[in-house]
Amino acid sequence: MSTKAAKLNPKRVGFDAIFFAISLLIFFFVMTSVVAQFSETFAFISKDWAALNMSSLFLGFGALVFLCAGLCLLFNSQGVATLGEYLFSNSSRKQEIAHQPFLKSFYGLHLLITFAGTFYLSAIATGASFYELTDPDGFAGAMNLFKGLINANFDLLPLAIIEVIETIFIAFLATVIAIPIAFVLSFLCAKNIMVHPVAFTFYATMRTLLNITRSVEPLIWAIIFSVWVGIGPFAGMLALLIHSIASLAKQYSEIVEGVSDGPIEGIRSTGANAVQTVWFAVVPQVVLPYIAFTIYRWDINVRMATIIGLVGGGGIGTLLIKYQGQGMWPEVGCIIIVIAAVVWLMDTSSAYIREALK
Amino acid sequence: MSSDKPILSVRNLTKTYDNGVQALKGISFDVYPGEFLVIIGLSGSGKSTLLRCLNRLHDPTSGEIIFDGTHVEKVEGQKVLNLRKNIGMIFQHFNLIPRHSVLSNVMMGRLGSLGTLKSLLSLFSAEDKEKAMSYLKLVGIEAKAQIRADQLSGGQQQRVAIARALTQNPKVLLADEPVASLDPATCHVVMDYLKKVNTELGITMICNLHFLSLVRQYATRVIALKGGEIVYQGSPEDITEAWFEKIYGEGAKEVHVN
Repeated sequence: MSTKAAKLNPKRVGFDAIFFAISLLIFFFVMTSVVAQFSETFAFISKDWAALNMSSLFLGFGALVFLCAGLCLLFNSQGVATLGEYLFSNSSRKQEIAHQPFLKSFYGLHLLITFAGTFYLSAIATGASFYELTDPDGFAGAMNLFKGLINANFDLLPLAIIEVIETIFIAFLATVIAIPIAFVLSFLCAKNIMVHPVAFTFYATMRTLLNITRSVEPLIWAIIFSVWVGIGPFAGMLALLIHSIASLAKQYSEIVEGVSDGPIEGIRSTGANAVQTVWFAVVPQVVLPYIAFTIYRWDINVRMATIIGLVGGGGIGTLLIKYQGQGMWPEVGCIIIVIAAVVWLMDTSSAYIREALK
Repeated sequence: MSSDKPILSVRNLTKTYDNGVQALKGISFDVYPGEFLVIIGLSGSGKSTLLRCLNRLHDPTSGEIIFDGTHVEKVEGQKVLNLRKNIGMIFQHFNLIPRHSVLSNVMMGRLGSLGTLKSLLSLFSAEDKEKAMSYLKLVGIEAKAQIRADQLSGGQQQRVAIARALTQNPKVLLADEPVASLDPATCHVVMDYLKKVNTELGITMICNLHFLSLVRQYATRVIALKGGEIVYQGSPEDITEAWFEKIYGEGAKEVHVN
């Protein structure tokens, strides 16, 4: 079985080393937390590691990864298949490895134990406890609140409707302003359009920028903009706008990358220039999926606008946080019903329209 | 006819793709005005690459292409677009815009002669529209002018593609496997229209095919490619069994399309 690995695949060794290091750490924490149930000293140790400084943490982890890389190579040389070897090796070796039953293989057991350990640690970190879930006092309190929600105070209905309309308007404005910007960006962010080396550099930069923009939550944008333009619906709209541009541009450009080349070649052969080619060969292919994604984005934006309202972005979210803060549960109940109705309505109608567009 | 000056001369043309595939290995031939030149060969023999080098959809690696007095391989920018305007092209998969009407597809042949802004607003002149209609009539499909292109059959779409290429007012028409995805009956209809364009409008035709029976019926001259090189050049009547085996490999049998 000890077939000598022909070539050292850095991806495989890297994957194995990091996965091994993480699983060893998990194993260590599981052990200390189990022992800590019985001994105060260990409880102290398992809490204390977080106080270590950054550089020693990184150094420690790096050393561990190196150690694990060596360990994995040793395993591989003995013909023991590791997970990285299974995932990254060529198909003949893969079949050889897959031939042994999962549970009897080393990588199978390794995966299973790591999974179980992670589950155990997650439960501890979450503070999951049956005792608290079944606590009668807590349960009675929750029931009280729930009763208030069910006995919604519909006197608030007119105000809630006005506020939810504001939320829809915030979402609408953000979506509509985002469309033309994302439309132009989508072609500049499509690999099949930006083939020229200079264009490709621009493509890569834009893609990275959009990804960064998208990975910042709209909630954070809302906080930034509420400092900039003052708390209220305008800040909420700007936050959604930024997020919508980044999301739509990405989704649009993926559609552009999926268009068929035939019509492009057909139009180019007539002597059309680059702009004409995009307009006549690419745009007709992407219009319907664009509309579908845009409607879906508006739908998402309405829901997001509600959340953004919670940090002062205006609309129904702001109303909700106001009454919730005062513990006025019947009023909160009314607002929740309005939100649920609007979300349901938007969801169904946007799904219906998208279906009709196919 | 072929005593004139050639309209297109190709000298030592080579094309090597970025992935290292050598598609063309030094091709030389002349095309004379009014010819119906057919290029035959197996798939992968370099036929499609050759046609795409002629109108610069692909850039040749080395060699010369002289079309109408200009060096095709040297032109840049706007001049490439002007070159393409003068060389129409039709494709195996028609390459129409599915969501546009037949008429709109045909008028796209005018894009090379229309300013960018005007074309984005679809401001085609009445004259262009008239011209488009007349070419639709020529390929016998004017009744379908307002129908969406993707609702037509394959043969009809290829006729629309011919009309689109004709609205460019080309001197040469390139046809890359124009009937390869059509059934035998439709195949002849499309080939007959190409012949009509060739004889009635006097447009020089360079056509890739792989059915020898079609070649004998339509071509005035044949070039056979194998592995990126010319292995036969001459009259279609002279292709014997021995030539056929040389082009298509040992044991190949001729299939007749009726």
